[in-house]
Amino acid sequence: MTPALELRGIDKSFGPVQVLHDVAFSAYAGEVTALVGDNGAGKSTLVKCVGGIHPIDSGEYFFDGRPVRIGSPRDAAELGIEIVYQDLALCDNLDIVQNMFLGREHRRGIVLDEDTMEAMAAKTLESLSVRTVKSIRQLVASLSGGQRQTVAIAKAVLWNSKVVILDEPTAALGVAQTAQVLELVRRLADQGLAVVLISHNMNDVFAVSDRIATLYLGRMAAQVKTSDVTHAQVVELITSGRSGDLGLTNGATV
Amino acid sequence: MRAGPSQEEIRRHNLGALLRHVHLSGPTSRAELTNRMGLNRSTIMALTADLTAAGLVREELPRETGRAGRPSLVVRPESARVYVFAFDVGVDRMVAARVGLGGTILDRRETVRRRGVFSLEEIVGPLAAFARQMHRRTRPDTVCVGVAAAFAGGVGRDDGGIRFGPNMATLEDVPFAEEMTRRLAFGLPVTVGNDANLAALAEQTRGVGVGCRDLVYLHGDVGIGGGVIANGQLLGGHLGFGGEVGHMIVNPDKGRLCGCGSLGCLEAEVGERALLEAAGRFGPQVGRDAVRAVVDAADRGDVVAQAALSRVGDWLGLGVANLVNIFNPEMVVFGGMLREIYLGSAAQVRSRLALDALPPSREHLRLRTSALGDDATLVGAAELAFSQVLADPLEVLTRAGS
Repeated sequence: MTPALELRGIDKSFGPVQVLHDVAFSAYAGEVTALVGDNGAGKSTLVKCVGGIHPIDSGEYFFDGRPVRIGSPRDAAELGIEIVYQDLALCDNLDIVQNMFLGREHRRGIVLDEDTMEAMAAKTLESLSVRTVKSIRQLVASLSGGQRQTVAIAKAVLWNSKVVILDEPTAALGVAQTAQVLELVRRLADQGLAVVLISHNMNDVFAVSDRIATLYLGRMAAQVKTSDVTHAQVVELITSGRSGDLGLTNGATV
Repeated sequence: MRAGPSQEEIRRHNLGALLRHVHLSGPTSRAELTNRMGLNRSTIMALTADLTAAGLVREELPRETGRAGRPSLVVRPESARVYVFAFDVGVDRMVAARVGLGGTILDRRETVRRRGVFSLEEIVGPLAAFARQMHRRTRPDTVCVGVAAAFAGGVGRDDGGIRFGPNMATLEDVPFAEEMTRRLAFGLPVTVGNDANLAALAEQTRGVGVGCRDLVYLHGDVGIGGGVIANGQLLGGHLGFGGEVGHMIVNPDKGRLCGCGSLGCLEAEVGERALLEAAGRFGPQVGRDAVRAVVDAADRGDVVAQAALSRVGDWLGLGVANLVNIFNPEMVVFGGMLREIYLGSAAQVRSRLALDALPPSREHLRLRTSALGDDATLVGAAELAFSQVLADPLEVLTRAGS
């Protein structure tokens, strides 16, 4: 199976500080790939490289098996890569539909095509089986944390995206809302998207992921199938970069 | 030897198949039905005409399709007209609902059930009263085509009698189906199924397992129930008591005492009481809210609650590993309170699976939470109630209308 997204040998430095060393990473359509690692392991930097916010110093970037060059967030969005950051980047003073189309509004002549946008937003939320939102003309300010996360995710999938990257989507949510967001994450993948989930919560990771990619001090310690590993092994990979046969030896990927 | 099916049998089969499509997929265009059923257009037209004449479906022009050409008529189920009664008898609650063709819940009533020993009257009485209330509020042109109930206990296949129910404190046989039929007096027999079995079928037809032919559903109420679907068929066993995965013994030596009398059943190690006791919270608050409170506390960092979930998750993983090794399912679905427990202890559950399930069986296994949530058992009962009209639409409708 060709990965929807594949990176090979990615290096990234900020001035004298090297943050990513020779990182390989793959995400597959129809699967949730969890990206885990300690604070400062390079998760956010890797994601920002994928999303075109940080240019990579060296390495290869493949999308659906084709080599591509990503110079800006717009390049990534055009390929169908969407990232939902922790702060969600939603505007409180706008309603759900306006948020979902922010900066990419549909027009009919010189006026906005509100009907089409409303119908598309409703259809997307429906396809994600989102039933928690009362009205899609509700202001985002009035939504709960889980609902905001849902809107941010729906916004990401509205654009026929192929790869959706979620940065800690369940952080700061209560248990009931976490469950709903996790089920939504799983549904995205079951509908054929490649989903990358960044999380510190091992239960969340194990609940929905098909693969786990572990970063350790800027290196990819291991990319494994979730069905083949235990909690203890993943924790070891996160904290020491290796576990039994898995992981790094003398600072290099096996 | 018998010749092939008669014209009449084929027609009956096709009518049922078309109605089932519309019932499960909702409004569908004739063109789409032609595609999906592999029949030609005039056959589809004749079938829909028959079903329309019987008042089971209705044909409408679709709203704007945005495409050129004459739009194909959309066939929609007569949800407001054709309905069933569905009942769900759980340990803590009883639900009665009127469900329209197509699966729409038109009306529902719910009551809390006191735990412990019950008399048949305590269950049949309120449910029959609910059904009559809802029946009185229906319009005269509506028609009830079936009645079914999901019951948290062992249900005999032949007569719908309850043979065991450790959490319902039933020790002797209870003629539940017979009594419900008598009390409702709708002229329709009440069919009864085990709640987890029906929920398994519901998840497979309307929930997370659509299109999945090998599925194991685990239902957490007070105990743990289950339904095993193998090659598209529910495994009921010789007398219909199969699939009681909650009474798979996982910890015979040092196990906890189960309501069924054995030591170390999965249900005794994973059920509500095991979790609450391990979390030091076994007391006046029981049921779903108490379980959610433990998961919530664990999420907030309560170490006792975390340890309790981790312990329960470990046993749950062992149970699932056994099931995966035996049945090699495509999907395992966690429903009822197991949804929360799985999400809160997935690291343990899957670690156990990685250690104890056979690699070829676990590799492509999908673990999912119920899509129908708390209504899975009720939806299952409704589907059971619809099964007759879907098998022979015209005959059942004629009988119901008379």
